[in-house]
Amino acid sequence: MWLGIILASLGLLVGLLIGFNVPLVLPQAYAKYMSVAALAALDSVFGGIRAAMEEHFDQSIFVTGFFSNALLAAGLAFAGERLGIDLYLAAVVAFGVRIFQNLGVIRRHLLKK
Amino acid sequence: MAKLNYYLPVMLVALVLGIILAMQFRVTNYPLEGVPINRDRELANELRELTREIKVMEEEIADLEYNLEQIQTGQAEVTDAMISEVAKTRLGAGLVSVTGPGVEVILNNPPHPDGRPGGSLFIIRDEDMLKVVNELRGSGAEAISINGQRLLSFSEVRLAGSFINVNLTRVVPPYQILAVGPADQMEESLLLPGGLAEFMQDVGIQVTVEKHDSLTVPAYKGDWSTVYAKPAQRG
Repeated sequence: MWLGIILASLGLLVGLLIGFNVPLVLPQAYAKYMSVAALAALDSVFGGIRAAMEEHFDQSIFVTGFFSNALLAAGLAFAGERLGIDLYLAAVVAFGVRIFQNLGVIRRHLLKK
Repeated sequence: MAKLNYYLPVMLVALVLGIILAMQFRVTNYPLEGVPINRDRELANELRELTREIKVMEEEIADLEYNLEQIQTGQAEVTDAMISEVAKTRLGAGLVSVTGPGVEVILNNPPHPDGRPGGSLFIIRDEDMLKVVNELRGSGAEAISINGQRLLSFSEVRLAGSFINVNLTRVVPPYQILAVGPADQMEESLLLPGGLAEFMQDVGIQVTVEKHDSLTVPAYKGDWSTVYAKPAQRG
């Protein structure tokens, strides 16, 4: 059970190291898209861990879910900016709710065992 | 171990999440750190700008080099002009020996009445010498010397005892006066009937006037620095 969390943490750590050492900085203008993409990725990770614990994990669903979520979120942010509506808030709220739900489910699984 | 199959993609996504979070963190907290993503365009712009600047500078270099060349040739001309001016001035001031046509006047004291060598009652005085010099100058002499002493604008001809001082140097008879200038004119003005030569011969001075096609008047050899006279300020 804990293996998934450890592996996920390890991946996160390595990613952070890479991100901090890449000699590239995105322009400030893209920071908004990046933030919703980060939320989408966070949601996917929690969703993946939860699915693995519930024993119905599917790689293809997981990977496509991650990309479609991230792209839709970024697209919403982009469209929102063009229209003058803060559409990225929709993504933030949706992902935030799901993250907490997933976290709750994971907690239950970990405590049950 | 089947779980590993599940967790590997999760780990990869977590990796991507980590990268995204780190980048986001850097963008938010250190906006000017690192290399911006459109750095290449910036650098290209800079390169273009600098290339243009180089071209402008090169044009300026060529321009300045041309100017320098002009100035150098001008400088050479100025130097030549100054050298020739100095030479002219030295010539006019009597600081160089001059050669040219002229007359040689020899004055000697009258011989002793008794035919004995030695001083006579009458000797050539400074006035006689000055009269000759004046006559020569009046008829166009350009350079005069008395017994090798060049006459300058500040030279004196002065009786000192029974001798004559020229340029503070004692000269003794026979006095040889050399004058470069229009020889015919000078000779004529000296030998004019009733003129200076005749007058002096009447008094008893031995006068010889001789024309020369080429004679050399020596340069002034003394010190000619001025102590009191300074160039006047103009205006």
